[in-house]
Amino acid sequence: MNEYSQLGVRQIHEGLRAGNFSARELATSAFDVIDRLDSQVHAFLELTPELAYAQADAVDAAIAAGEPLGILAGVPIAFKDNMNLEGTHTTCASRMLETYVSPFTATCVAKALDAGGICLGKTNMDEFAFGSSTETSFFGVTRNPWDLDRVPGGSSGGSAAAVAAGMATLSLGSDTGGSIRQPGSFTGTVALKPSYGVVSRYGVVAFGSSLDQVGPFARNVEDAAFALNAISGRDPLDCTSQPRDIDYTANLDAGINGMRIGIVPSLLELDGLTSEVKHAFEQSVAKLEGLGAEIVEVELPNAAAAISAYYVLGPCEAFSNLSRFDSVRYGHHAHGKNLEQRYEDSRAQGFGPEAKRRIMLGAWLLASGVYDEYYIPAQKVRTLITADYTKAFEKVDAIVLPTSPRTAFKFGEVSDPASMYLSDIYTISINIAGNGGMNLPVALGEDSGLPIGLQIVGPQFKDENILRVGAALETLVDIPRVAPLEKGGRS
Amino acid sequence: MKELTEVLEDWEAVIGLEVHAELTTLKTKMFCSCPIEFGADPNTHTCPVCLGMPGALPVPNKAAIESIVLAGLATNCDIEKHTMFYRKGYFYPDMAKNFQTTQGPLAFCMRGHLDLELSAKGAAERVDIPKGEDGGYTTRIGITRIHMEEDAGKMTHLGGSEGRIDGAERSLVDYNRAGTPLIELVTEPDLRTPEEARAFMQKLRQIYLTLGISDCSMEEGSLRADGNVSLRRRGSTELGTKTELKNINSFKNLHDGLAYEICRQAEVLESGGVIRQETRHWEPGAKRTIVMRVKETADDYRMFPDPDLAPFDLTDEFIENVRVKLPELPDAKKARFMESYGLPAYDAGELAGDVEVAEFFEEAAQDTDAAIAKKIANLIINDVSAWANENATSISASQIAPAALAKLAKLLADDTISSKQGKEVLAALIGEGIDPEEYVKSHGMEQTTDTGAIEAIVGDLMAANPDKVEAYRGGKTGLQGFFMGQVMKQLGGQGNPKVISAIVTEKLEG
Amino acid sequence: MTLTEKDVRDIAEYARIGLTDEELSTMTVDLNNIIETLRPITEYELEGVEPTFHPIGSLSNVMREDEVGESFEREVALSNSDSTSAGCFEIPSILGEGGDR
Repeated sequence: MNEYSQLGVRQIHEGLRAGNFSARELATSAFDVIDRLDSQVHAFLELTPELAYAQADAVDAAIAAGEPLGILAGVPIAFKDNMNLEGTHTTCASRMLETYVSPFTATCVAKALDAGGICLGKTNMDEFAFGSSTETSFFGVTRNPWDLDRVPGGSSGGSAAAVAAGMATLSLGSDTGGSIRQPGSFTGTVALKPSYGVVSRYGVVAFGSSLDQVGPFARNVEDAAFALNAISGRDPLDCTSQPRDIDYTANLDAGINGMRIGIVPSLLELDGLTSEVKHAFEQSVAKLEGLGAEIVEVELPNAAAAISAYYVLGPCEAFSNLSRFDSVRYGHHAHGKNLEQRYEDSRAQGFGPEAKRRIMLGAWLLASGVYDEYYIPAQKVRTLITADYTKAFEKVDAIVLPTSPRTAFKFGEVSDPASMYLSDIYTISINIAGNGGMNLPVALGEDSGLPIGLQIVGPQFKDENILRVGAALETLVDIPRVAPLEKGGRS
Repeated sequence: MKELTEVLEDWEAVIGLEVHAELTTLKTKMFCSCPIEFGADPNTHTCPVCLGMPGALPVPNKAAIESIVLAGLATNCDIEKHTMFYRKGYFYPDMAKNFQTTQGPLAFCMRGHLDLELSAKGAAERVDIPKGEDGGYTTRIGITRIHMEEDAGKMTHLGGSEGRIDGAERSLVDYNRAGTPLIELVTEPDLRTPEEARAFMQKLRQIYLTLGISDCSMEEGSLRADGNVSLRRRGSTELGTKTELKNINSFKNLHDGLAYEICRQAEVLESGGVIRQETRHWEPGAKRTIVMRVKETADDYRMFPDPDLAPFDLTDEFIENVRVKLPELPDAKKARFMESYGLPAYDAGELAGDVEVAEFFEEAAQDTDAAIAKKIANLIINDVSAWANENATSISASQIAPAALAKLAKLLADDTISSKQGKEVLAALIGEGIDPEEYVKSHGMEQTTDTGAIEAIVGDLMAANPDKVEAYRGGKTGLQGFFMGQVMKQLGGQGNPKVISAIVTEKLEG
Repeated sequence: MTLTEKDVRDIAEYARIGLTDEELSTMTVDLNNIIETLRPITEYELEGVEPTFHPIGSLSNVMREDEVGESFEREVALSNSDSTSAGCFEIPSILGEGGDR
């Protein structure tokens, strides 16, 4: 285990200031860990050492010159490979974009780097974020650092694994139906999906534009808050970004004495919720109560409708968003004898099976006639779900749920698309409503020995509540923050 | 095929227009900050947004929204406060995202109208309504909506004949134009003749130019029209099957294309055939329309609200801030010109239809009376415009100063020079920017209006021709012309005919 | 609602995704399975409920000023295309053999 790989953002900042280590040493150390581990994990699709060392040297120069440091100065960061970073490949783990080199940079990436972050590289994911296991990547799977026979979750599996394995201090992922929180749960990482609009989506390859949101993976809640401070804020390039200027670290030490925290009893009776996850959930609730929170039962009566609404809205938006991949300006191109043939061949070769399914589904759902029967009802269901949350949050300051009904599964274990979709049962409704949610690792499963996460959900645009609850509960959690991969591990 | 007027005796044509105008006077595109510039090197005005790069997001141009609201206010539309942008999906390489961002069921501007005044000439095609004293008529054309959208890129087809798409081996795509703000106006099917369609387009163009929202160049494609036309028997209220004429790029083509299409449809229907719903292309050279595409089923564009664009909820304040920018529109200006300058309707309309011309006129006509204003109007409408057209320029680009034109008008109005001489002075004015008064003096053009001198000449002539005076007084009043001619001869052609005529008559009447 | 292979073929054509006969059969089965799971959405009582298209709270009228920003250098704009000519993106014949529009 490398001496730097467990450091948090605050320790890095203080260590750099004190001259205990340099940013270059941190970068070198991070790439050492990647060299040792990533051949097994395969979290990264591309490494950017030149960029990283240049950024590290800039941080060291700033320290030497006594200049102020950004809040993420010297912090090794990895970015999901659906985030454009000028001069790097942005593949979305798809053959479609295998050779695409970004000519521009996503706002969230630019902000993280402007804050002094050191870019290690781009991480693996489900193709175009379509999946919950990172198995649909064209470039091969990412393995869960806790058990290399198991998936890291998805779609941001590479970003989760990079942090879980100690390769990166922070990473950014994107979450359309659980793609940050569920891999966070599977890999034992703090994984935050902020409220829709808190982080700019500009430059992040879109899946479901009304559902997508960028957020951080970290090894502790404070690091996630630092990351959110760096990447959030109104972006003139994203119409849906929110004008909110908040210090998300401000209330982390405030405790939760007197806070009202909601639980949803009906959601704890679902088929597929394993007993160890349910048990860990109940223990966490007891701890929250022990910390002085008032536990209040709330109802989300339309939560069951969220999955079908999601699998209508997501594919519709995805179909439209992915229409641009036509081989003309960028992307995989076949040699068709005419344009139509080239369109069909390029897209047939460039997209994997899951992408094709979702595109096809979306194209059907938006057809006239079908649209009124599925798309419009799905948007009405969104209204109901949003109202459910609004009503629940009149009574409570946060709601806790399991993040995933089970711990990480083995490769190939869940192959039927409809079953795979169920692994997002606890996360999806939050995307539909646009609220924020965070996975906090709370236990290792008593049966599986694998990380189990608690999901903390906040009122829309009150993500500081989530972080505050997480920071309090975190003090009572005692599980390793870096997967025990190098100690002989499980595989 | 029968002639149009003959066809229209038996058939009523039902015509609707879709008019696209690029907002060329804005600095930047609809959803990104790339500049709008016609004729730039290919793909130099592009960015992630207008190239449809993965991850790019649109942000609407406020000035474009203001422009469409302005257009709506100028065409008597209701401004719809709650609207959204939609995505309209279709795969075509000039559309970078393979969907066009446009508006859904509700556009920014809904339910407007324009009143058309057809002159006697334009009225001839309309057989079913009474004409006014001047042979013209007015008619109100409903406007369904004006919506905001983005233009596509430009394609060049290579390897085929004349850059046509069929037979081309490959095509080139330039996205400079992609994302240019476009407003699409859709009329109700209220137009009944090709002349009305032409008049509507001309009027709309005048309005857009007055608003300053587009250069409305039909040649460069910044103003283009699609026309829908169907026929029904006179007296019937059912709509026939329509055909669509695409991308018409001049007023003449709009008129002639529709006229041809009406005659073609009548021929098909009269021979017992049926009209197919299809898109047709007007070929001005061959003077015919040809089929571009047969529409068997309605296109399914998979439209849905664009999640990337926040909805609009325009405030009264926003709309009022636009309303105060509304300039005087051509109709109002025409009425004012009639009122303030005493101009006839035709002259007032001609001047008011063009912002530059109207401004020039008003500058020239300030502090003048109606007679001089009328002369100024004549000069502008007949002479200066003809010259500007011939030389493909505009009045403001010429050397003519409004004050100089006013001087010329005055010289004409008070008969200092003849209208024939006026043409010579105007030519010098256009060519060299001379001062008309000095020019007339230095070229000895001044007509003699010295009544004393004329009276003396007339007195001498009467003394020398007593027989003719006798004859005149005996009833041969035609002899007045003899005396006038003699006076004019003695004045070397520089006499003022009106003054001479008056004096001759007075003296002869004795 | 059940899709036939013909329906799926039509959707694929619209979505510009070439499918082999075998893929077509698999896709038809997969899509029908998924559509079956979506059935609840067609069965909710939603009378009088307004749709929410944008989960953005009270945000509206988001616009930018009409000010020119940076455009790409042309080489950058074209850099991801395999086939360019005369400063443009080059594509094969639109109406070539078997082409249709």
